[in-house]
Amino acid sequence: MISEQQQDQAALYALGLLDADEDAAFQSELRANAELRDLVRELREGAADLALTAPSVLPPASLKERIMGEIATKRVVPMPAGRASLGWIPWAIAAALAVFCGLLALDRARLERQLAETRAADPLMQTSFYTLAPAAPAPAEAKATVAWQPGRQSGVIRISNLPAPEPGKDYQLWAVDAEHKDPISAGVVRVDKNGVAQIRFKPVEKAEHVKAFAISLEREGGVPKKEGPILLVGTT
Amino acid sequence: MAETPTTQQMLDQEMIARIGRRDQSAFSAVYDRLSGPLYSLAMKMLGDPAEAQDALQDVFLQIWSRAATYDPEQSSVFSWAVLLTRSRVIDRLRARGRRSRVVVASTEETPPAEADASTVESAADTVEKNDAAARVRDVLKNLPSEQRDAIELAFFEDLSHHEIAARLEQPLGTVKARIRRGLLKLRERLNNL
Repeated sequence: MISEQQQDQAALYALGLLDADEDAAFQSELRANAELRDLVRELREGAADLALTAPSVLPPASLKERIMGEIATKRVVPMPAGRASLGWIPWAIAAALAVFCGLLALDRARLERQLAETRAADPLMQTSFYTLAPAAPAPAEAKATVAWQPGRQSGVIRISNLPAPEPGKDYQLWAVDAEHKDPISAGVVRVDKNGVAQIRFKPVEKAEHVKAFAISLEREGGVPKKEGPILLVGTT
Repeated sequence: MAETPTTQQMLDQEMIARIGRRDQSAFSAVYDRLSGPLYSLAMKMLGDPAEAQDALQDVFLQIWSRAATYDPEQSSVFSWAVLLTRSRVIDRLRARGRRSRVVVASTEETPPAEADASTVESAADTVEKNDAAARVRDVLKNLPSEQRDAIELAFFEDLSHHEIAARLEQPLGTVKARIRRGLLKLRERLNNL
């Protein structure tokens, strides 16, 4: 139960109106009271909504260039090292491919089941599936499946058996769209130590006619335009 | 009980997580989504395009450097960014030593544009927030005027709660209660829409 006095303090805290002593005292109350924390969050959301009542003005395009230039010069956090060795023996590749096909089918079936449930809840939602297969120099057992919702311009990618890249490199996802000359970046994707990732993504530009998705190996942090080799690529 | 995140909030969280991993394309997307409303807020509070742009730059550099520490339990990405912006703007207001410069007008009295036509259009368009902005304005308009005045003064001006009480010529306890009731009603009514 939260008292009215606590609610008053919570409202002032959410707006940053408490003085230093009051703020410190309220923070210790917050640490001990989950209900109060939830209230503060609600009040913060309400306060932030007030920003939407400001008259709409867009910043100049040059500001984005200035900021992007600024972050590009900042130090980047190094990626964890460690790249798994690649299987190269022909029979091993063949066996891996057989396993890969089976797992891919299972993966796809699982994603289709998940999306079918969502689709049932929202009949307007359209989802396309893309199966990404390895291209040299990717390991033969690497695989990925993309569930793409063009109406929402967002999707989910599930990757497995893709070893972490060497330090200073990142994998980057691209949407190959019929209306765009160059692939559209959908962001950097990072796999865990088992070579697995499941990530929600959103391309940086509108992609209404996606023919394929691809994953390339790029400089750490990603690049605005594809530079590195394609490791995985696939269509519907 | 905390509210379940919307799809947009989950997408925002994913983008911030990617920024935390130094993903510049995610940063670019977050800039495109948030820069309009954040710049609009900075303009309303500062009233000066050059200062508003500097403030926005500070905010996005903070988003870049602090993304890894963003806590979704404490606020949505939008609220986090708005409150960062408000904080940076208040720093600037204090630095230039002019407090309370902005006249907080009620929403319907707000002039539609303060800059040239090339830069003024719907900032909310860029983040698909036109509807959300209209809903907030509508809910705000329907709050009791004393609550609306109190929360607008509290949010848009660099005033302490004591100064707000003095400005409104009301006891401090009354002002605190108005701010609390106004914010709670605002959130509750927006949640119920």
